[in-house]
Parts: sequence; C-alpha cells; structure tokens
Amino acid sequence: MKSEEKILVVDDDRDFLDIIRKILEKKGFKISAAPSASDALSMLKKHFYNAAILDISLPDADGTELLSNILELHPEIITIMLTGHSSVKNAVQSLNRGAFAYLEKPVDPENLISVINRGMEKQRLVLENRQLVNELERHNHVTNTLLSVSQAVAETLDLQKIIDSALQKVAECTGVEASFVFLRYKDRLKFMGHHGLPQKIIKDIPKEVSAISGIFSNLIEQSGPIIAEDLVKADEPDLKFIKKAGYRSFAGVPLTILGENIGVLGIATDFNQIFSPNNLDLLTGIGREIAIAVRNAQLYEEASSARALRELDAMRTAFLANVSHELRTPLAVIKGSANSLLQPDVIFDEQTRRDFLLSIDKDADTLARLVDDLLMISRLEANALEVKKKKHRLSDVISAIKDRLDNLTVKHHFHINIPKELPLTNIDEGRIGEVLTNLVENAVKFSEDDTNIYIDATHEDDGITISVTDEGIGIVPELHQRIFERFFQGDGRKAGRRKGTGLGLAICQGIIEAHGGKIWVESIPGKGAKFSFSLPLD
Amino acid sequence: MDKKHILIVDDDPAILRLLSTNLKARGYEIFTATDGEESLEAVQRDFIDLIILDLMMPKVDGVEVCRRVREWSDVPIIILSARGDENDKVKCLELGADDYLTKPFGIAELMARIKTAFRHRGDPSVAPAQATFSCDGLEINFAKRRVTVNGKEVTLTPTEFALLQHLAVNADKVLTHNMLLQSVWGNEYSSEKEYLRVFVGRLRRKLEPDPKNPKYIQTIPGVGYHIATSTASIA
Repeated sequence: MKSEEKILVVDDDRDFLDIIRKILEKKGFKISAAPSASDALSMLKKHFYNAAILDISLPDADGTELLSNILELHPEIITIMLTGHSSVKNAVQSLNRGAFAYLEKPVDPENLISVINRGMEKQRLVLENRQLVNELERHNHVTNTLLSVSQAVAETLDLQKIIDSALQKVAECTGVEASFVFLRYKDRLKFMGHHGLPQKIIKDIPKEVSAISGIFSNLIEQSGPIIAEDLVKADEPDLKFIKKAGYRSFAGVPLTILGENIGVLGIATDFNQIFSPNNLDLLTGIGREIAIAVRNAQLYEEASSARALRELDAMRTAFLANVSHELRTPLAVIKGSANSLLQPDVIFDEQTRRDFLLSIDKDADTLARLVDDLLMISRLEANALEVKKKKHRLSDVISAIKDRLDNLTVKHHFHINIPKELPLTNIDEGRIGEVLTNLVENAVKFSEDDTNIYIDATHEDDGITISVTDEGIGIVPELHQRIFERFFQGDGRKAGRRKGTGLGLAICQGIIEAHGGKIWVESIPGKGAKFSFSLPLD
Repeated sequence: MDKKHILIVDDDPAILRLLSTNLKARGYEIFTATDGEESLEAVQRDFIDLIILDLMMPKVDGVEVCRRVREWSDVPIIILSARGDENDKVKCLELGADDYLTKPFGIAELMARIKTAFRHRGDPSVAPAQATFSCDGLEINFAKRRVTVNGKEVTLTPTEFALLQHLAVNADKVLTHNMLLQSVWGNEYSSEKEYLRVFVGRLRRKLEPDPKNPKYIQTIPGVGYHIATSTASIA
C-alpha cells in the first residue's frame, strides 16, 4: 500500500527538499530526507526504503558513488538520480550502474510522480517474484526432506532401525542439534531412540514417561506441535534431560497416523530458537512419515508374532499326533498279542504263545523307553534338564557303558580310539554315556553287519571333540539339520528293524547343548556318517 | 474252497507278525509288504482278495496306496492305522477304503471287519430274491452285480454295491442310519455314521447326473436315506 511506501530524498538543497516532500506526501508516500551521502547511508543501514531520490552532486560525495553503495546494501531499492542540466552525462552513467531513472532539475512534479509510480510497480514485481522463488525453494526443501525421511524409513521393517534412520535424516535435513522419539504403549510413552544427545545425559533420559500427564501427553492429546522456546525459564519435568544437556529450545510434534497419535518426535537446539510455522509444519510432516513407518513395522511385528504362534501351534499339534502314533504302535502290539491269546476260536501252539508273550515284553520296554524319552524332551523344553557336571576322564565314561556298547555292536567291528593324554572334562558322566549309546545305536541301525563303527576323540585348546563314525547308508545333506528335530524319522533302517522314537538325536542335542557344546553330522550318502560333539573343558 | 488271500501292509515287523499269525490260524493265506511300493506290486502279483493297510509308511504312504489301487481294482481295503483322527478316516473312506480301524485294536473286531468286507464282495446267500431293479435310467442286475445308468455301465466297489443293493431292495422305504449301518456293515458299525455319509457320497458321484441334487438316493435329514421312485420296478 502506498501509505507504507517510504522514500529517502538525498539533497543538500533544503528548499528543494521541502518541495519534493510536499509533492510526494500529497501522493501518500512517507518521506525522509538526508542532506548528505553519509547521513543517507546511516539511515539506509537502519531502515528500509522503497525508493531513494539522489542528487547527483552532494557535498560529501559523488551521487553515483552513493548509488553504488546503496544498491550494494539494498539491491531491490528503486533509485532515481536528480541532475543539473550540465551533468546529464553523469546521469546516463548512473543508469548503467543500476539507477532506475534520472530526472533533470527543476523537476516536473507530474513527471516525478509518474517515474516513482513506475519504479514502485517494478519493485513490487521484483519483490513478489522473489517471494515466489523463496516459497518455491521452501516447498522444495520440505518435499525433499519428507521424501528423504520417507525413503530412509521405508528401507526396513525393523522398528529400531526406522527410528534411528529417521532421526539421522531429521538432523541432516533440518540442522537441529538433537532429536528423539517416544512411542506410545497404552498409557506410557517409551523412549525409543535419539540423535545428537550428549553421552553424559543418556542416563538421565527417562525410559518411559506418562502418556496421561506432562508435556508429552499434551502432544499426544492434541494434534499440533508444542514449543518451549526458552527452556531456562520453562519448568517441565519431562524436559529435564534436554535442559541438563544445555539445550535452550524444544519443539515437539505428535507422530500421527489415521488421526491417532502413536508417539512424539522432539527436537532441541542450542540457542533460543524462534520456531517458525514453516519449521513446525515441516516437523509435523516428518512426524507423519515416521508414524506411517512405525505403524507398518508394528503391524509387521504383530503379524510375525501371530505367524510364529501359529507355527508353534502347528508344531504342538504335530508333536501330539506323533506322540499318539508312537504310543499306539507298541500298544497295538501289546493289546493285539494279549488279545490273541484270549481268543476262544483259536488255540495257538506253545511256540506261538511264547512269541506273543515276547512281543508283549519287548513292546512294553519300547513304551517305557518312549515315556522316558518324552519326559526327557519335556525337561529339555522347560530348560529343566539337570546336568550334574564333574571332572571325568572320557575313557572312564566309555568304560562305564562298554558292555552295553559291545552288546549293541556284536555284529559289527567296533573300535574305540581315545588318546591317553585327553584332559579331564567337566561333564555329567551318565548323560554323556546316554549320548554315546544313542549314537552307537543309530550307527548299528543304519549300517550293514560286518562293517566298522568307530568312537574317536580329539583335543583342542578349549575342549574335546568326540565322534561316532559308521560305514552305513549315510545322510543326504538336506537332512543334516532336520535329523536333530523331534520325531524326525530317517528312512533306510535295515529290513525288519523297528522305528525308533524319533527323539534320540533331539535328546542328544539337548544334553550336549546343556553342557555348552555342539553336535553335528558329516556324511556322504552311501559311504557312512560321522556324528561329532564338542564339549568345553570347564 | 480256496483260501482267501490277504495282503498285510505295515512297516512295523511286530504288527506284521501279530496279524499274520492270527489270520493264518483262521485259514487265510497271508502276504506281507513293509512299504507302499512293495504293496502295490503284491496287489498286482498275488491275486489279493483283501488288503489290511497301514497309513504311515516309507516311500509311498497308505493314503496313496489306497488311491492308486482304486484306479484299477475294487479289492476291499481295511485301513489299520495309529492315526485316530476323524479327518484321516473320512479322507481314506472317500478315497475308496472300505473300512478304518484304529490301533490298538481287538483281534475279534478285526476278524469281524474282514468278514464284513468279504460279505460285501458278493456272498450269494445275501443276494435278493428279485433279479433286477430299475428306476428312471438306473438299472441294477443283482445276480450279475452289474449297474448301469442310462445304459452306461458303472463300476462299484463291493461295499458300494452292497449299500446300493440294500437301498434298492427297500426302495420307497426310509432306511435309518442305524438300519443301514447294521444291515450293510454289521451290528458293531452302528455308531459309524460317517461311513454312511462317505459311501452315499461315493455312490452319488458314480450314479447321479448331478450329485448335488440327487434323483436316486434321497437324504431324509436326521433320519436316513431312501430310493424314492414311483417308476421303480422290481422284476
């Protein structure tokens, strides 16, 4: 508006100044006058003028020189040079230096007004243009920042990584010193991560704050930003850690998705910052981007845990079906055999009756063993397997089960190679004996009579490794892990052999892991298998 | 009379021994197989009259054996499995098994079921007095055990035939679930309602132009089934 447009007139001729003032004030301009170049410059440094009318010859300087100084200070100012008749040449020079126009003295008032109006119009266009460019640049910055935050957080579904990379981006794009995120879990807000907060105050950050009272709860309840521009004066318990870190200003925005506030993004700066609405809009936008990514990650986590639960449930069902199957088979033999002997329509001979009784006896043992194995598995699952460790020599452990191993391998060539210098090992003798018996049993089950079975041991710095090797059918590589799963049954046991419970290797693994060791298999199908387990010395 | 050939398929040697001993003692000729593949070979080679089949076996499992045998043979199949799940039972019956027994089992019960299966196979003493039945395109020749629909021959398993025969002979009478189970299978089957559901389904798939809207075998909800026909004629 014209009334706000200010014009500085620089001339040492007081009468002339008065005339100009009268002409222009009538048109609604606000006029200031300076009698010299130095006065003019000091006024220009303090105030903004839309236009300056300069006499080309001033007592303390040349008007064209002053023109250059003015344009350096305020490039957008409209400058009109006043010249005497004799100094038209200088006036043209002024135009080359950036003056908007020149007028010859004595000045024609109409001409002056017209020139000034044109100048003002030009200035308005320039200023508007500049504002548009600034606005565009700001939009560009906002868009780029949001894009860069959204790209950073979209790269992962891991909640912690999302928050870390979002905060990293907030620092890069906005230049704030410190930022942090709290996420809402029911009526609490949990601290999830920060960027730039000094190490010394990390311990002061509350792990969680109330989502019902305090400054962060205000953020959760309302949808807009909250600012504390002078923390020295503010007394907010939740902001204590920021204050302690020496920051002067705080701004926070809610993390909003679909109208729900799921957390808080806070920033802190070193100086008493005035957060402009533009800054806060940007921060709010960043908050929305983070909220989308956080919600996605939360949904993904929920879906994953639901899937995991379903898998666990399926495993339990499969386990029960397996248990039922494994119990029913020996039970069928026991019931069927006893039932056969009770049938009135057939009288079996002595040998057959004895065979039925032997079957009952044998499968009762099978059932008892299955029950033992199931108990063992349930202890392992409940982490209730007792391992009573004592210092033992491996050779003593093997001696204790030697008779049983010899019985098992009676149709094989059985070799035991335990080096004499093997150190004492801290183990549960009985449990390790069970593992070795089980591995030898498997070796017998899956290899032909008259082949070799070996037990070997080696010694490393931190432990010993014991192996049971056979020359049987071996195991294809894709089963090397699966054979340790509960109820996994390998095909290819020798004809006429009973299935095991499918629990043996799972139990072996449990016992070895309870000792802090590992168990694994190496095998070439058709050539044999080598089961090894390592045990730490202490 | 020649000994009936029974094939026992089970990968557990103790079960094979138990069944063989019992069945041999009762006059059957026994063949054994320890996996699905072996069993399929035996069915083709040994003129098998009945199969006792385990489900969980290496190589080809029992369900697959059942499916493959039914592609070319109507030999009675009794499933003998440690899996007692109702779904397993229905699945096997739908695939064409005749009976399903869960381990552990009683010897007498198994023997009764074997007898039921053989009875379905066509004991002349249970053939009805009348020679044929005909109803709206469905023709049954009881003596020849031959069924046609609109002149086209339909192959039925012995159990399917036994059920159809019982419904046809009693056409226009409502037969309750219990009556059908006891007459076609035997007294010990009166609680096995799903047998009836599965076998009626099997018959409808083979006989009915639109099994979902059956015109021959009608369901009386909650009661039983009947073949209702004004045009039915028994010669």
